[in-house]
Amino acid sequence: MQNEHLKKLCLLCGASGNEGAVRDYILEQIKPYADSITIDPLGSVIAEKKGAKPAPKKLMVSAHMDEVGMIITYINDDGTMQIAPVGGVDANVVIGRPVVVGEKKISGVIGAKPIHLLNSDQRKALPKFSELYLDIGAENGDAAGKLVSVGDYVHFLPGYTEMGGGRVRSKALDDRIGCAIMLTLMAQELPYDVTFAFLVQEEVGLRGAKAAAYTVNPDIALVLEATTAADLTGADGDAKVCALGGGPVVSFMDRSTIYDRELYRLAFAECEKMGIPCQTKTRIAGGNDSGAIHISRGGVRTLAISAPCRYLHSPSCAADLQDIENCMQLTAAMIEAVLR
Amino acid sequence: MNLTEILRQLSEAEGVSGCEGTCAKIARDMLKKYCADSHIDQNGSVIGTLDGTGENAPHILLDAHLDQVGFVVTAVTEEGFVRVGNVGGIDMRLTPAQNVLLHGKRTIPGVIASVPPHLSGSGEKVQDVTDLLMDTGYSKAELEEIIAPGDRVSFDTPMQLLQGDRIAARSMDDRCGIAAILCALEQLKDAQLSCKVSVLFSSQEEVGECGAETAAYSIAPDLAVAVDVSFARGHGDDPVKCAKLGGGPMIGISPTLSREISNGLISAAKRHDIPWQPEVMNGTTGTNADRFSVSRGGVRSCTLSIPLRYMHTPSEVISLADIENTGKLLAAWIAEGYYAE
Repeated sequence: MQNEHLKKLCLLCGASGNEGAVRDYILEQIKPYADSITIDPLGSVIAEKKGAKPAPKKLMVSAHMDEVGMIITYINDDGTMQIAPVGGVDANVVIGRPVVVGEKKISGVIGAKPIHLLNSDQRKALPKFSELYLDIGAENGDAAGKLVSVGDYVHFLPGYTEMGGGRVRSKALDDRIGCAIMLTLMAQELPYDVTFAFLVQEEVGLRGAKAAAYTVNPDIALVLEATTAADLTGADGDAKVCALGGGPVVSFMDRSTIYDRELYRLAFAECEKMGIPCQTKTRIAGGNDSGAIHISRGGVRTLAISAPCRYLHSPSCAADLQDIENCMQLTAAMIEAVLR
Repeated sequence: MNLTEILRQLSEAEGVSGCEGTCAKIARDMLKKYCADSHIDQNGSVIGTLDGTGENAPHILLDAHLDQVGFVVTAVTEEGFVRVGNVGGIDMRLTPAQNVLLHGKRTIPGVIASVPPHLSGSGEKVQDVTDLLMDTGYSKAELEEIIAPGDRVSFDTPMQLLQGDRIAARSMDDRCGIAAILCALEQLKDAQLSCKVSVLFSSQEEVGECGAETAAYSIAPDLAVAVDVSFARGHGDDPVKCAKLGGGPMIGISPTLSREISNGLISAAKRHDIPWQPEVMNGTTGTNADRFSVSRGGVRSCTLSIPLRYMHTPSEVISLADIENTGKLLAAWIAEGYYAE
């Protein structure tokens, strides 16, 4: 069921600020299991679920609903459109790609000047967003203007493919993985009361997390994420950062947060007890909603549990389904362990 | 005939240069409807003929190439990644996180490794093809049961219908040329021809027009037209170098091409009100026409090109009307004897 949720969530389009379709799916799934559901002013879903016992401390488990994408900034007279990234997207994973545009899901591609017309310096230069444009096949600017508007979102063409070794490739694994795990957890009996927060706008500065953490006012937070793995041929030792198949990634520090030391140790202990692998990140890189949550109000003890994920923020990220299952197991164990 | 469906089938058929088998079979089956003798030659090209009546009927060759650019497997690393070389001109700027299909004992999906922005410093540059790593999820041992050096890898992008009659799909270079020739044959199917027509869907164009070289020798035509794609103007592109998408077939004019054929095509287009655009080149054309013109003792040759945006990317954009008009123009040129001009 978790894998089924993941696939369905990945196929939905939900760039930052445009999380509606993802939210609708989540609301439908959690309705039977939540004791209360609130949608906050920014669009995050805050759902309370009662456990066997009232929790001695308030625990929030969160994941973000949004994904990276693009937004239309200008319609050119020739019917093409200028675009800007939403979140951290490199132009070289956008150029030449199929995309879907706006509410009506209009098909388009990001144009790339053919290499035949580039000189050798241009062929070796990384593309810049300002040089890219969107083409929906419109005859001219007026025709394009009837179909799209500036401010419309542009998403990578959805496509979810199972690869070898129990791995999947898709857009938006960051962070539909976290959302799928939360859907699994909410459908289970829990030992204590837990607040689940499905957050907006992580990719544009952890904004949903900041507002929701204030509202929920937790003592402890577990942030479910997908984090960057670089375990490729040629990357040795710490340059791998973390590895697919190596189990949940629990960081001691990244660019946004120094994580709670006790929670960090507890996570490794719980994994050892369950006999599942666990790893840390060997580079101080990236960041996630923890950055906003751990400094909310007077401070929140926070830990991020992440599935290792290759090619993050691209139309084709790759993750290991067993890692995701193990992240779910660890999160379930941590709900019990941190409140015990 | 349903042109979109033909393009979809041709686009999805595998045919990286030198391994055109899957695409050749599909193209041959499509050609059989018009040429009962259609077959695949020893170099992987598809050939069929339409017989004309009359003594000394001129022999016309219509060509489009079967093959597409892609990659060839060179090794599998200890960690289970596939290393490759390029087959034809690949734009290395757009390889990161690109979906691919690896064609081994069976076809498996994969993705080309990328470095995400979280880890890329400012020193990132466009990779060399030897730096590429293809991720299939499988381990080295598992992969070696499926993939071997020499196997081909192609882009994995679905066809998308854009606005109007425009389509984005992989391998439109030159599957839309094949489709245009099929359009011409559909129009010629009941015509009494006073010339003999050979149809060639040639292999290995992207690696030096090898299929055209050998097939032209075997076919020994009097005249040849290479139906290929050429540059359609994208945003900010030079109007001198690029034609208009939807503006009609581009008739080649060049010192290396037969001006008689160029003029014959222009006359046919004008007479039938078929939109067309000139494509003026100043030497060789980078198409199979370069091979045809110097085949055996010399063959009068020309190019007829379908405007295409984003050439050699996984999302090449064409206009259906351009393909239909290319077919119409070829049919008129042949049926009404403009080749004799």
